Amino acid sequence: MSELTIRNIRKSFGAVEILKGIDITLADGDFLVLLGASGCGKSTLLNLVAGLAEPTEGDILIDGRSVVGTAPRDRDIAMVFQSYALYPNLTVERNVGFSLEMRGVEKAVRRELVMEAARLLKIEGLLKRKPSQLSGGQRQRVAIGRALVRQPKVFLFDEPLSNLDAKLRMEMRAELKRLHKMLKATVVYVTHDQIEAMTLATKVALMRDGHVEQLGTPSEIYNRPATRYVAEFVGAPPMNILPARIAGGKIVVENADVPLASAKTSALSADGDKLSIGIRPEAVSYAGNGGEAKLWLETEIAELTGPELQVTGTIHGHRFVAALPPTTEIVQGTTVPLGFEAEALHMFGSDGRRLPDETVS
Amino acid sequence: MSGSRSTLRAWLLLLPLLIIMTTVIGWPLADTIRLSFTDARLVGTSGEWVGIGNYAAMLSSSRFWSTLATTMWFAVASVSLEMIIGVLAALLVNQSFYGRTLLRALLILPWALPTVVNASLWRLIYNPQYGALNAMLTQLGLADEYQSWLGEPSSALAALIIADTWKNFPLVALIALAALQAVPKEIRAASMVDGAGPIARFRYVVLPYLAGPLMVALVLRTIEAFKVFDIVWVMTRGGPANTTRTLSILVYQEAFSFQRAGAGASLALIIALIVTVLSTVYAVMIRKAAGSAK
Repeated sequence: MSELTIRNIRKSFGAVEILKGIDITLADGDFLVLLGASGCGKSTLLNLVAGLAEPTEGDILIDGRSVVGTAPRDRDIAMVFQSYALYPNLTVERNVGFSLEMRGVEKAVRRELVMEAARLLKIEGLLKRKPSQLSGGQRQRVAIGRALVRQPKVFLFDEPLSNLDAKLRMEMRAELKRLHKMLKATVVYVTHDQIEAMTLATKVALMRDGHVEQLGTPSEIYNRPATRYVAEFVGAPPMNILPARIAGGKIVVENADVPLASAKTSALSADGDKLSIGIRPEAVSYAGNGGEAKLWLETEIAELTGPELQVTGTIHGHRFVAALPPTTEIVQGTTVPLGFEAEALHMFGSDGRRLPDETVS
Repeated sequence: MSGSRSTLRAWLLLLPLLIIMTTVIGWPLADTIRLSFTDARLVGTSGEWVGIGNYAAMLSSSRFWSTLATTMWFAVASVSLEMIIGVLAALLVNQSFYGRTLLRALLILPWALPTVVNASLWRLIYNPQYGALNAMLTQLGLADEYQSWLGEPSSALAALIIADTWKNFPLVALIALAALQAVPKEIRAASMVDGAGPIARFRYVVLPYLAGPLMVALVLRTIEAFKVFDIVWVMTRGGPANTTRTLSILVYQEAFSFQRAGAGASLALIIALIVTVLSTVYAVMIRKAAGSAK
């Protein structure tokens, strides 16, 4: 239950720089998700916070106290691993109470705390078992219990749900959310699963190639992606990106003759400037029944996923996916009129950065 | 139909091996058993049937019991040392440091040496006139004069145990190193975060993964140590005053020095029986250990 400050952290292995200057500040009770593709450095950053590795440069502070150079055991953190990392020859009870045992906590007190954690996680019935006698979900609960029991200042999770099947993952996600609400703990959570990031986080740091591409709330990440990379990383199916240029103060999609209706740019961009525009599949609506059509999608495939109808096709020769209500009637191969709200249009400059919003009117 | 045909084919395919096994193992073994019930000498008489006379004489002789005690002491001491030093060496070369690969390669060297070479080497080290051990001890001021390490009844067996340990600890180290590399990194990391010190880490993280393979090493080494002959023969020939005489040396003396083939055969079979009992006990222990690790 405390603050965590990550200040200009750099980490190199030999000549390879894995982390290139990370700055993140977490307030008490924040749930930070480090999100990113494999190899972006998110696990390395977590290990640095845990003390399992030391940064090449920069500082990490827990409650204002620098912990760089301090052993993991002295950082007052607890960590949950992807493979659960339970001690194979100890019972669940001793696994959960292990950190207390190592710190010389009296047996009676230890028992009390272990029972409390077990109750929270609903594993009271498993305390006498060995890890090998547990299912994957139960093991993960034990691993979380082991972290909870000591009430550390910061909880670290390294892809804790990746080894579970889809249904169990959803359950455990809800469980983690419930625990966080109840304990109001400060958490750093690594995942490559954007659903986990969106649902659990109070803050998301989307990482790419050793730097933070965007740090913000899940809503900011989804609704106002700072870069084209973020826009395409978050969302399934990903955001549609169309190449465009400025003509007469308006945006014209490449290959198109007329400007995109209601999309204007301010003087920030000059005629002929290139940019990319982004529209989320779920942000478009079917404009066939008298709505204002702004895009015409030449449909190729329509797939009903259940909650929505995913229509894939092209707009001015550029691939485009629209997620429409499941009851929409689409004849494959026809051209479908689509509408969207002005704020659903994202614009990215040729460097991939988001263009200021006042360019949209 | 097809079942009996495939059984027949299996036996046919095994037949050549069976013939060879029967010739080189089965027949000598049967002959040894027969021999052990006679008073046959190596040269001369083919022997008279004496029943269990050889066994009775052997088991009632003080020579047998003192030799058994020497053998057990040798086995227990050398195997214990090998296990402890082997595991420590494995823990050391499992750390990451500069030159680790070279050290790992060097580690295997003593074990790769032929026993005779190793034994000769240690005879030189222990040499009472120009041995390196004497030189080192006197130069360090730990001893006043040169000792005959292999010539003194009080030190000969210990000297042998050290030589055997030096030769065989690399095998234990190799097996332990392989086991150490199977310890999951995440459990190690978890124990560090949980605040386990080096001893607790070894006990709760490393040992569960080490126990099974070490058990195998223990079985191998105990059985070998129990049958030890070559290193003893080259270094002391069982002396001085029979203080380093092991069971295998006694068999050799009975059968070839004293030419009592019958008595030698009975003793050889006694050793075989002891080793069989030992390995059975170990096999049960391994099965139990494997069961609990699951």
